Formats: sequence, C-alpha cells, structure tokens
Amino acid sequence: MTTQSSAPSRRSRLRLGPIERPIGQRWVTPYLFLIPGMLLFAVFVVWPASSAVQLAFYKYDIIDPPEFIGLANFERLLSSSEFWETFRNSLVYLVGMIPFTVVLPLLLAILVNRKMRAIHFFRTIYFLPVVTSMVAIAVAWNFVYDDLGVINGVLRTIGLIDEPIHFLTNHDTAQGALIFVEGWKGTGTYMMIFLAGLQSIPSDLYEAATVDGAGAWGRLRHVTLPLIRPFMAVALTLEMMGAMQIFTSVYMLTDGGPGNRTASLGYFIYQQAFEGHRMGYASAAALVMALFLVVLSTFNYRLGKKAED
Amino acid sequence: MAASVGTGPVETAQAVPTNNRTRLPASRVIRRIGLYLLLVAIGVVFVLPFVVLLSTALKPGHQDVFSNPPDLIPRPPIVDAFVRAWTTIEFPRYLLNSFLLIVLIVPANVVISALTAYPLATMRFRGRTLIFFGLVAAMFLPMEVMLIPQYLIVNQLGLVNTYAGVVLPNLLTVFAIFLLRQAFTSVPRELADAARIDGCNEWRVFWHVMLPVTRPTLAIVAIFGFINVWNDFLWPLVVLSDQNLYPVSLGVAYLKGIGGVDLRLMSAGTVISVIPIIVFFLILQRQIMEAAKGAVKG
Repeated sequence: MTTQSSAPSRRSRLRLGPIERPIGQRWVTPYLFLIPGMLLFAVFVVWPASSAVQLAFYKYDIIDPPEFIGLANFERLLSSSEFWETFRNSLVYLVGMIPFTVVLPLLLAILVNRKMRAIHFFRTIYFLPVVTSMVAIAVAWNFVYDDLGVINGVLRTIGLIDEPIHFLTNHDTAQGALIFVEGWKGTGTYMMIFLAGLQSIPSDLYEAATVDGAGAWGRLRHVTLPLIRPFMAVALTLEMMGAMQIFTSVYMLTDGGPGNRTASLGYFIYQQAFEGHRMGYASAAALVMALFLVVLSTFNYRLGKKAED
Repeated sequence: MAASVGTGPVETAQAVPTNNRTRLPASRVIRRIGLYLLLVAIGVVFVLPFVVLLSTALKPGHQDVFSNPPDLIPRPPIVDAFVRAWTTIEFPRYLLNSFLLIVLIVPANVVISALTAYPLATMRFRGRTLIFFGLVAAMFLPMEVMLIPQYLIVNQLGLVNTYAGVVLPNLLTVFAIFLLRQAFTSVPRELADAARIDGCNEWRVFWHVMLPVTRPTLAIVAIFGFINVWNDFLWPLVVLSDQNLYPVSLGVAYLKGIGGVDLRLMSAGTVISVIPIIVFFLILQRQIMEAAKGAVKG
C-alpha cells in the first residue's frame, strides 16, 4: 500500500517555494530533525541502490568473495531463454491487468458512486481483498481453482464443461488464473481512486450535458471519461509498478509453473538470488527490470501530461 | 487531504440527484432492485474465496473437503481444525510475532517519517531539493531491485534471522514522508509562530504544536503501517529462517508447504491469520477508504 505514490505528473509537488526561516531558527535545526531519517535512507536505500548497480558486474554467491566479471552477467541474461520467458510473462501480467485497473474499477466506481442505502457496505466488501494478505488470498483461490472447486463445479453444473479445467497447471489457463487473482485483489484500490475522480467532477457539468440532450452514454463519453483521465494515468502508473513486481501470488499458487509459464521477473530474480545464490546475475536481471520501469514510467508520465492538457 | 480524513463521508450530488426518496415511481423501484441485485452479485465474487476458506476450515472430518457438485456448507460445522492450528501448529506464536513486529515498526516509523517530513515542509536549508528528489526517486525503485543489496547489507551487519533485520529497513517509508509533509505544509504558519513567540524552540513546536494538529495524517500512516507489516511477505521470507521468529504471513506459507495433506488445518490457519486484519479494517474502514481516495489527490 505504501507504494501507492501520487501521480508522477504532479509537478507542483516538486516545486518548492521559498520558505522564510522561522523566528529564532538556527541553521543546524533542520539537519538535527533529518538525522534519523537520512541515516536510514543512506544505509537502506542509497547504499543498496548503488551496490545493486555494482553487483550486476560481479559474480557473487555470498560465500566466496565477489569477483568482477564485467558484462558477463548481462550477456548470459540476454541469451537466457528463461529470462526472456519471464520477461514476456511480466509483460503479459502488465497488459493483462489493465482491464482490472481502468475498465472494471471505473465501472465499479460509477456503480457505487450513488446515494443509496448500504452503498458503503458494498464499497467495503469490494475493498476487502485490498487489505488482506496475498498469502491468505492465494490459499483461498487455490481452493476456488481446484478441480473440484467452486468454478469447476458451477461450469460443470450448467453443462459448459465435462472435464474439470486444471486452472493452475494448464499451460493455457495458468497465467490467466493468476492475473484474475491479482486483478481481483487490486480492483478495490483503483475503484477508490476513480471514486475520488468521479466525486471531483462538478455536478453542474452533468446538468449542462443533460440540458444539451446527452443521455447516460453521452454523459459518460463527454463528461466523465475526459475528466477522469488524470486519475487513469495515476491508476496505470500504480498498475505498472505493481504488475512488474508480482511475486507472492506466483510463489504461493504456481511456483512459476507449469514450466516457467507463470514465472514473473520478480520470481525469476528471487529464485536466482535466494535459491540459486547467483547474486550478481540476479542483480543484473533486477537492473534490466528497473531500466524497463524507468522507460515505462516516462512513457506514462508523457501520457498523463497529455491528458492534463 | 488531511482535512478530509476522519470528517465522515464526503458525498457530492451526482448525475441523477434523488431528492424524493419517499415516493419513487415504479420504474425506478425496479431499477433500484436491479441495482441491488447487481451489487450483491459482484459482492459474491469478492466474498466467495473467503467463504470457501471458512467453510473448508469448519468441515468435519467425515465430510469431503471437495465434492462434485461443490458443497460449501459444513455439516455440522466444527472448530477442530482451529483448535489444532492453535495448539499443534504454533499460530499463537506467529500472531504474537506479527504484533511484536508491528509494535517495533509502526510507532518508530511514524515518528521518523514525521521528523523527516517536518523540515522538508517548513524550513529552508541547503540540500533540501536534493533530499526531496532522492526521496522521489526512491519511491520508484522496485522491491526486487532493492531486495538483494538490502539483504547483503543486513547480512553484513550480522542481522540475518533477527528482528532488527526485518525492522530496520521498514522504519523509513517515503510515501509516509510525503503524506506528512503535505499535512505539515497545510498547518497555518501563525500557529507555529505563536508558539515560537511564546518561547518554544523548534523541537517543542514540532512535538507540542505540529504533531497534535496533524494527528489524522499520523493515524493514516500508522494504519497503513499496521496493514503493511501484517501482510508483508517477501522481506521476512528472505531475512528470517528460524521458524520461531515467523510472522503470521510466513506461518501461513509454511502451513501451505507442509499442509498440502491437511486442507482443513491449512484453511483454519489462514482464517486465523486474516481475522485480525479484517477486524482492524472493519473498525477503521472509513479512514482507510478515505485515505485510499485521498492518496491520489495528495
């Protein structure tokens, strides 16, 4: 939840206006306040971030001292079919979760943005998976997806299938099944973002549109969608960060399988580092991932800015 | 956003204002019923996995966990699996460990985040812009990138398999700093100046004036800290190897690893692990959901 950052497109946040020095403040005061935070920041953010870059050029298995091997990690990475497979899988997660980020949550937000009895109750229900841990959710969905689970049961009862679908072990359905779980868990977050967006639209705009003869569809198309676009940009940024970091659901539900079909980049990095003890190699993969995220963020930032214009 | 938190529901009139609640025309009554049916149907999708979990945990030994067609009603419901999860698998210990981690992390996180945010919000000093951009950049570093070097540092400090190793990297949350900076910025200057004229030094201004007036935001930081620590999985998984130190999230994963055979036990353990967080959420749902909305408005 803490990664729920604000839009990168908000430049106003970064513009720090001049602030007068308060009465009687000594020059050292701000630094005294900053000591604990900056100490932690240096040790657990700056240091690791810089050594992540360094490590990518070393061979390191924790036991033997690190050995400089230049670009060998990257060469091996880029010629590894396993890496490309997980990279491709991560892209599928990224794209596959977009409907759960902008389409479904927007529809839900429109649905629950009404003055109705018990509407808060429904919002709460839809938000429930957001606060629940992925570990617990994975255990639950493991039952739901079982050969004799609820989904197969319903499909069989209504006669759509004769044989159960092995959702989590079938090559064709496994990743879709994981995308659905991740989407299901995250939808509530985006619903609240869009709810904030909808409630920021002045109601007289809708009245004006109605006077101009716009129906429900026209109001959605010409009032809601244009004004909600900045919120979509925020949702997409969060989705990208989240989708590229998918790990727990894979770890708990499929172990990356069948084959490597559902292994995400995050899962690949974890495996290489903590099961294969290839710290340098895994760092190289992490670096490629970070680079890819920078490219994506820049792209999305541009998109968000366009939406604001 | 601080102002909007905790002030109750902020509803604005929407496209179709329903002023006359008492006598709705028949067509609207039908529409309303249809809407409720839709809301309930969607609700079922969100609740079903939890129901399956609970029903599995409550099923007695003579009733199959899985059947065709699926049967979600335990006949009769028994708490045997809960008792076993509580006594044979060390769930009380896992729960205590999670609470201990929350106690160690959340208050310190709130104070350190506030300490860092305060000068960034109200003071002018050299290096301010640099720190600011450093924090923004850190927010975009994916966990997987930091995971390995953070682990190596914790390893170097000799903190692998200790709570210090789990706690220390969690004490600083960039998102919390920005949230609090925003809150401090929106406090009227006159308030702090009045205290200064009364002879308060900057520390006392911070502690006795700024922290009390930004209490709603501090609460939000603490609430989300609680949820994050309770649900955190990857970092404790990497740092902790001694089972006695496992927080509840690792306990569930461990149970799933060994419990493939005993599905009732596994479900009961998982239910135990989610009950505290769901109760917590239901108590504070207004604040949590308003904050989820406010996070974007920043």
